[in-house]
Amino acid sequence: MPRAETAFEAIGTGWRIDTPEPLTDATLERVLAVTEAYDLVWSRFRTDSVVARIARDGGTHTLPAHATDLLDLYDVLDARTAGAMTPLVGAGLERLGYDAAYRLQPSGPPLPAPRGVVTRTGSTVTAARPVLLDVGAAGKGQLVDLVASELRACGVGEYVVDAGGDMVHRGPDAVRVGLQVPGDATRVLGVVELRDAALCGSAVDRRAWGDGLHHVLDARTGLPTRDVVATWVVAGSAMVADGLATALFLADPDVLQGVAEHTYVQLHADGHARYALGLPGEVFS
Amino acid sequence: MRTAHRRSFVLLAATAATTTLAGCATGAADAGTHPTSAVDAATTPQEAAPDASGTDGAQADAPAVYADGTYTATGSYKSPGGQEDVTVTLTLADGAVTAVEVTPEATDPTSLVYQTRFASGVAEQVVGRALDDVDVDKVSGSSLTSTGFMAALEEIAAGAAG
Repeated sequence: MPRAETAFEAIGTGWRIDTPEPLTDATLERVLAVTEAYDLVWSRFRTDSVVARIARDGGTHTLPAHATDLLDLYDVLDARTAGAMTPLVGAGLERLGYDAAYRLQPSGPPLPAPRGVVTRTGSTVTAARPVLLDVGAAGKGQLVDLVASELRACGVGEYVVDAGGDMVHRGPDAVRVGLQVPGDATRVLGVVELRDAALCGSAVDRRAWGDGLHHVLDARTGLPTRDVVATWVVAGSAMVADGLATALFLADPDVLQGVAEHTYVQLHADGHARYALGLPGEVFS
Repeated sequence: MRTAHRRSFVLLAATAATTTLAGCATGAADAGTHPTSAVDAATTPQEAAPDASGTDGAQADAPAVYADGTYTATGSYKSPGGQEDVTVTLTLADGAVTAVEVTPEATDPTSLVYQTRFASGVAEQVVGRALDDVDVDKVSGSSLTSTGFMAALEEIAAGAAG
């Protein structure tokens, strides 16, 4: 693909869109509008978001249509991980210090996610009491999909949309993506050939702060996970890849196989890796 | 006792997954249903086991204790393309399953695809290679993160160092 590169910052992450031709101003504007609209619903780091309103007042809120897909996926992953993965971990993350002010200091003992507080019909959620949602496990992936969909609507048929390592590709020529060694940006532990598919990764070093604290929590205990240190998933959509990448910190790969067609790499703290033999790529060992 | 229970569930789950793999590959005409049915079967024993009272069959009766080691078994099943084999290797350490490896041995290409989808490999020790030595267009992992977060982290590191 002849390269034109568009870079911008959204939802606190650097984005890069590679296309054969430069994006027009109109297309870029629409892309940015998509990211802003998403942020305005889901950001727990701004006071004017829907999530912030739910955290303040609870109550019933009708979210945009995309929320149905996202929360449906969360429901499936919640069941597959036996309750370890839920959007209700917001307060647990804040408790550990991952809050709007980036305090990064625990403010008390780990906080298990509440259960049975939120009910939902489609994209309408009802919080019986104020509760802080966090869709960090699959939301960025979904936004990658929404941006890609906006590009297609604008007539852009070949692209790589890359939001800080979570990406979706479309076009005839595969891109080769290196899987970074956690904690060492100069080394890769494998390569994925990505074509007409999405790749998302999650590593605990990138959002880790002192003493084993990081952003992947087991909702049942409110404690950060221990055994798995990095995961990558290749799937049809970035939302699914992103969600499964987090779920792989919390459940055995076999239990997640049926959620959606995907391949994965699961790197453990002792340096061994488990991966799908069908991975379109290679793990170095 | 609690731990022993959990160990046996893990083994049960793995066994169920394997059994179902063979079972659902028989119905190869409907590829779309394979992953779901296998996982449902794999999950059920985990959910059923805590109150298992013997109704779920001999394996669920009592938490069996398994000797550590590596167990390998090859299962056969009939696919539309003929007889196919799949080999499963389980590693037990301290009573828990530490590795499950499913080796696809199908000769029929369609069966091989289904088996491969389920198969996982285990790299004993992953070896990183220098980015400069590997031909890649992009990277995924720890390249970028929230700017505010990184700034906060640096501040904390500076504070800790001082």
